[in-house]
Amino acid sequence: MGGVGLPEILKAESATSRKRGHKAVIMVFLPGGPPHQDMFDLKPDAPSEVRGEFRPISTNVAGMQICEEFPQLARIADQFSVIRSIVGATGRHDAQQCLTGHGVTNSPPGGWPSIGAVVSKLQGAADSAAPPFVGLSPKCGHDEWGDPGQAGFLGPSYAAFCPFRGGGKEDMVLKGISLERLGDRQALLGSFDQFRRNVDSSGMMEGMDTFNQQAFGVLTSSKLAAALDLSDEDPKTRERYGRGSDVLRADGCWKRMDQFLMARRLVEAGARVVTLGFSRWDWHSGNFKRGREDFPMLDQGLSALLEDLKQRGMSDDVSVVVWGEFGRTPKINNNAGRDHWPRVSCALLAGGAMNGGQVIGATDRLGGEAVERPVHFQEVLSTLYHNLGIDARKVTVQDLTGRPQYLVDPQYEPLKELIG
Amino acid sequence: MKTPVVASLLFILTPLALAEPLTLSGRNGSGDVIQLVGPDARQQIVASIGERDFTHEASFSVKPAGVVEFIDPGYIRPIGNGKALITVTVSGHSSASIEVQVEKCQSPLPINFSNEVVPILTKYGCNGGGCHGKSGGQNGFRLSLLGYEPWNDYDYLINEGRGRRIFPAAPEHSLLLTKATGEIPHGGGARLELGSHDYQFLSRWIRQGMPYGSETDPTIERIAVFPEERTAGSGSKQQLIVTAHYSDGTQKDVTRAVQFEANQKEMADVNESGLVELKELPGSTSIMVRFQEHVGVFIANIPLGAPVDLPKPRNFVDHHIFRKLDLLGLPPSHLAEDSTFLRRVTLDIAGRLPTQEETEAFLADTHHNKRAAKIDALLDSPEYADWFANKWSAVLRNKRAKDEYARGTYAFHQWVRNNLAENVPFDQFVGDLVTASGEMGQNPPVAWYRTVSDSKEQMQDVAQVFLGIRMQCAQCHHHPYEKWSQDDYYGFTAFFSTLQKKPGEQPGEQIVYHKRRDAGSQNPNTREVLKPTPLGSEAVTVSAENDPRFALADWMRDRNNPYFAKMLVNRYWKHFFGRGIVEPEDDMRVTNPATHPELIADLAEYFVVSGYDLKDLIRVICNSHTYQLSAEPNGYNTNDRQNYSRYYPRRLPAEVLLDAINDVSMTSDRFNGQDQGTRAIALPDDKYNKDVYFLSVFGRPEMDSACECERTLDANLAQSLHLINSTTIQSKLTSNTGRASKLASAKEVADESRIAELYLNAFSREPRPDELQAARAHLEKKRGRAAADEKLSEAQAEREAFEDILWALVNTKEFLFNH
Repeated sequence: MGGVGLPEILKAESATSRKRGHKAVIMVFLPGGPPHQDMFDLKPDAPSEVRGEFRPISTNVAGMQICEEFPQLARIADQFSVIRSIVGATGRHDAQQCLTGHGVTNSPPGGWPSIGAVVSKLQGAADSAAPPFVGLSPKCGHDEWGDPGQAGFLGPSYAAFCPFRGGGKEDMVLKGISLERLGDRQALLGSFDQFRRNVDSSGMMEGMDTFNQQAFGVLTSSKLAAALDLSDEDPKTRERYGRGSDVLRADGCWKRMDQFLMARRLVEAGARVVTLGFSRWDWHSGNFKRGREDFPMLDQGLSALLEDLKQRGMSDDVSVVVWGEFGRTPKINNNAGRDHWPRVSCALLAGGAMNGGQVIGATDRLGGEAVERPVHFQEVLSTLYHNLGIDARKVTVQDLTGRPQYLVDPQYEPLKELIG
Repeated sequence: MKTPVVASLLFILTPLALAEPLTLSGRNGSGDVIQLVGPDARQQIVASIGERDFTHEASFSVKPAGVVEFIDPGYIRPIGNGKALITVTVSGHSSASIEVQVEKCQSPLPINFSNEVVPILTKYGCNGGGCHGKSGGQNGFRLSLLGYEPWNDYDYLINEGRGRRIFPAAPEHSLLLTKATGEIPHGGGARLELGSHDYQFLSRWIRQGMPYGSETDPTIERIAVFPEERTAGSGSKQQLIVTAHYSDGTQKDVTRAVQFEANQKEMADVNESGLVELKELPGSTSIMVRFQEHVGVFIANIPLGAPVDLPKPRNFVDHHIFRKLDLLGLPPSHLAEDSTFLRRVTLDIAGRLPTQEETEAFLADTHHNKRAAKIDALLDSPEYADWFANKWSAVLRNKRAKDEYARGTYAFHQWVRNNLAENVPFDQFVGDLVTASGEMGQNPPVAWYRTVSDSKEQMQDVAQVFLGIRMQCAQCHHHPYEKWSQDDYYGFTAFFSTLQKKPGEQPGEQIVYHKRRDAGSQNPNTREVLKPTPLGSEAVTVSAENDPRFALADWMRDRNNPYFAKMLVNRYWKHFFGRGIVEPEDDMRVTNPATHPELIADLAEYFVVSGYDLKDLIRVICNSHTYQLSAEPNGYNTNDRQNYSRYYPRRLPAEVLLDAINDVSMTSDRFNGQDQGTRAIALPDDKYNKDVYFLSVFGRPEMDSACECERTLDANLAQSLHLINSTTIQSKLTSNTGRASKLASAKEVADESRIAELYLNAFSREPRPDELQAARAHLEKKRGRAAADEKLSEAQAEREAFEDILWALVNTKEFLFNH
C-alpha cells in the first residue's frame, strides 16, 4: 500500500500550523424525511389537500420564497441556496444516502464509507488536538437516524468520533479516578514508555502517541473537550442559537439547538466534517402541528449558525448542508400527516464559498415530481467534496477487494449553480 | 539516516560499473538493426553501461541525415527511407552504434482499429472508469472499459450519436477530435493536443474511411518490457522499452502507447514515456505496464550499499533473505534476546502472552535448542488452534447474520479448529470445504455456503483465499492488471453452478447438494455458457452425475498447481512478518511481483513436499534466523519495510490485546453464550464485535470479506480513550481478585519482586533499574499521601499504586506491540 500515512499527514499539518482556514462540512440530518413542500418548496396555488396550512413568505432575495415559519432564514436567504429537486432516494429510513451518496444495496463488502470517513482518510487531522470527523448524534431508538456516518470499507480508524453515543461517549468522562490520579498515571506512563520508537518506521507508534495526547486532552479538558463545553461561550451567542432539548424525539434524534453551536466550535478546533441529527421528521400525522414546533427551532439554530460563521469569517471555508432521507407525499392524509415520498425532496446548502440566494430545480404544481434540474444525492456530495478540495470524480479509495472506488459515480458533478 | 545516503551515492559512482562497455538496446531490447516501417513507426533506444542507464545523459548522433530524427533522448522517428547509423557517446567513455533502416516512410500503412486506434483512446483516458468507459458511458457517449471490447467501441463511435462523432468528409470536424482537443466544450477538458501525432493519426484514420481492419490482420500476442529487472542506486533513472509482439511475428515499439503505473510510488515513480526514477528506500519495487489486455512489469532493486556482515543461515529462508540483503547492502539487526523472542513467538503462534512461569523457565533454560523446543511446544498448545481458527474463521466469513445461525457458526468454527489442532493436511482441509455437501450439523463446512451464498461469490472467495487471485474485476470486464477475462471468470464460476440448497433441519439452516445437471455458467456479455475451467487451464469434462467441485478440488490439490501452495505460504509468511512476500498477500499477479520470488517458490515447494503440513511450515518460518532478528534498527535499516533486515513491530490484534490485558490483570471476560474465562481469540464468529466495544474499536474484522485486510491495526482516538479511561479497563485494574489487588495485599513480598511480577507478565522480562526506580517512587508517593491524608487508607493507597502501575504498563507501546 503506498500513500501517505497518518503521522505524515499530522506532521505536515503541524508544520504548516494551519489552525484556521481549513475547509469543513457541517451536515445537518433531519431524520424521518422532512416535508419539502412545507419548508422550501411551498405550493400556495395547489388544492387545499396538497397545499397544507403553511404560507410562503418573501425573503431578502427577490423571487425566493420559503415557509412563513422560517422568518430568520428569510432575512438571510442570500446566504444559502435551496435545491427543490433532490431525486434518487431509495426510500429507506436511514441517513445512508445523505452521508455516502449511495444506497445500501449492492454496496461493496464492508459498506460505503461516509464523507467524514473519506475525508479522514484522505486529509487526516487538521489539528492534532481534534479528530477530523465528529458525529454529534445521540444513539436513537431507530439507530439509523442517529448514524454519524460509517467508516465502511475504510475501517474503524476513520470512524467518526462520537461524544454522545457508544463507548466514545462513556470514555470521554473521567470515571472512577480523579484528575490528579490521571496526572499521576500519565507521568508514570511517561517514565515507563521508553520503548525505542525508531523500531517502527510505519508511523503507527507515532500515530498512537498523537492520539494518546488527544485523549489526555479530552479528559483534562483541552481543545476538543473545550469545543464541546459551551459554558465559556458568550451568553449572547448561546441565546442566539437557543438551547432546545436533549430529550430524544420518540425514536428519533434530540432537538438540541446548541449542537449547531457545538458544530461551529468543533470546526474551529480542527474538525473537517461534523454531522448532527435534529428531531424526528417522519410526520405521518400532525404534520402541521409538528412543523409549528420544529420549524422555528430549526430556523433559529440554523440561522444562528449561518450568521455566526459569516461573522467569524468562516463561511467561505465551511459548507453547511441540511436535508433528510426523502420528501413527503403531496396529498395530506386523514391524520393531517404526509407519508413517505422518495420521488423528490429538498436540501439547503450554505457557506463553502457557494453562491447563495439560488433556487435550484423545481417540482410540478403539486410538489410531487422534479420537473426541472433533478439533482441526485451524489451531486450534493460531489459539491461538498469539491468544497473540501477533493475532486470526487477523480479520487478513488480502495475497497476491501482492492478495487478502486470513486467517491461518487463520475457522472455526478459538483453543482455548477453553486460553485460557478 | 545520513550515512546510508552517502553509501548509496558511493554505489552509483563506483568506477567498476563504468569499466564495462556501453551497450545499446533497441527493438525488444536487442542490439539488432532497427526496422522502422511506415511513418508512424517509432523506437526508443536505451544506452546502458552494466546495469546503469545512460540514455538521458548520453549524446546521440545519426549519419547520414534525413533518415531518422530524435524526438527525445534515444527516441527516434523516420523522416526518409534508407539506412543510417546511430552513434551514442557517454562523456569520457567509449561509444557504441546501432543501425536503423526505414521503409515506406511516405506511405501510411492501413490502420487497424483495435491495434492502433483503441490504444489511443486508452492512453488519453477516454475509456477510463471515470469517463466514457464506465458502465453506461458519460454524457451519452460510452466506450468499453479500457478498450477491452473494440468491436463495441467501433459501433459506438461510428453508428451511435447519429453519426456526428465521426465526419469523414471533414475529419477535423468530427466530435471525436473536436471534443478531445477541447475545441468545443468537453466535460473531460482538452486531452489531445491539436495537431499532435495522435491527432493526425486519428484524422488520417477517419480520412481513410474508418477501417476496422480485416480478420487476417495480425493480433497482439504479448508485450515485452526491457529491461525486465535492474539493480541501480537511489536517485538513478531507467528508461524502459516496451515492445508489442504480433501474431505474424512482427514487433512494434509501443513505449509511448502503453500505460505505466508505479506499484510503490514512494520507492520509484515513472512518467508517461517510460522513464523510471528510483527513490531513496532500499529494496525491490516494480513498474506495471499495460497495453490493451496485456501486462508486463519492470522490477527495480534499489541497494543501500552498506557493508553487510551476515550471520550463518539456519535454513533456506535465511539463505534467500540474506542473499537479498547482501545484494542490497542492507545489514540485518542483531538476533533478538530470549525474552523478546519468547514474547513474539508466543503471540504469533498462540495469540497470547507467555505466562510468568513460562518466561522464567525459558530464560533459565540453557539448552542450545530451546527456541526450537518452544516453537514445538506452542504448536502443540490448544491456543495455537484457537488463534489460527480465529484467523481462518474471519476469511471464511463465519458470520452470525441472525441469532439462529449460531449453531452453524459454532459448528463451523469448531470444525476449523479441529482441523488445525489435528494438523489435518491443508489440501485436505480445503478439499473438504470446497466439496462440502449435506447438513451443517453433520458436515459443518456446509455453513460456509450460507454466508457465501452465490456461485460467483463462492468462486471469488475460493480464488482470493486459496489461490491469491482477485477475480472480482473480471466479472464485468477484462481484469485491468491481469490476464483474466470474463470467460475465465465464468468458466471458474461454473464449478459451483450445480450447487443447490434446500431448507435444513432447523430455522436459518440449509442442506447443500449437487443437482444432477451439466455444469456451466453463462458469460452475460457473449451469452456463451462456459464449462468448468480451472484458472489458466483447459475446461474439464464433468458428467451430470458428478459434482464438479470435486474436479476443482483435485485441480487445487495437484502438487503442480501454480497458485495454491504459494498463496498459503504467503499468507502464513505475512502472519509472522506483517508483510507478504507478495503484498497484499492475496493479490498475486504478474504485475505485483514478489520481493523474494525464489523464497516464495521454495516455501511452496517445501509445503507441498511436507504433505501440506501447516505446523511444519510454521516451524520453518519461526526457526529461521530472519524471524528471530531484533526489531531494533542498526543505523542502516530504520526505513526497511520489505527486506526483513529486522522484525517489524505490529500492534496486538483486538482479541489478543483483550486477552493480554486480562492475563496481566488476572481477570477474564464473560462473553454471551460462552463459558466464563473463554478467551477472546477463541470466539467463534463476528457476533461479539457488537457485544464488546473493545473488539470493534480495536478492529476485529466484521467478516464481511475474504480479505485479511479487513482487520485493522491502525490507531485512533476512540482506542486511546478506551485504553486510558474506559470502565472496561478500569474494572479490570480494580478487580478484587485481580493482580493489582493481589500484589497490594502481598505485603510480605518485597516491592522489587512485586514490580518484577508485573514486568514479567506484561513484557516477559525483568524491569530495568530505572523502571524499578520509577515504580518504587510511585509506591512511595502514594504511601506518603496515605500518611498525610486521613481519608486515604494505607491499604487503599497501596492498591491504587499498583493499579496505576498496571495501568501505565498496559498503555506502553512495549505492551501494545508485538516487537
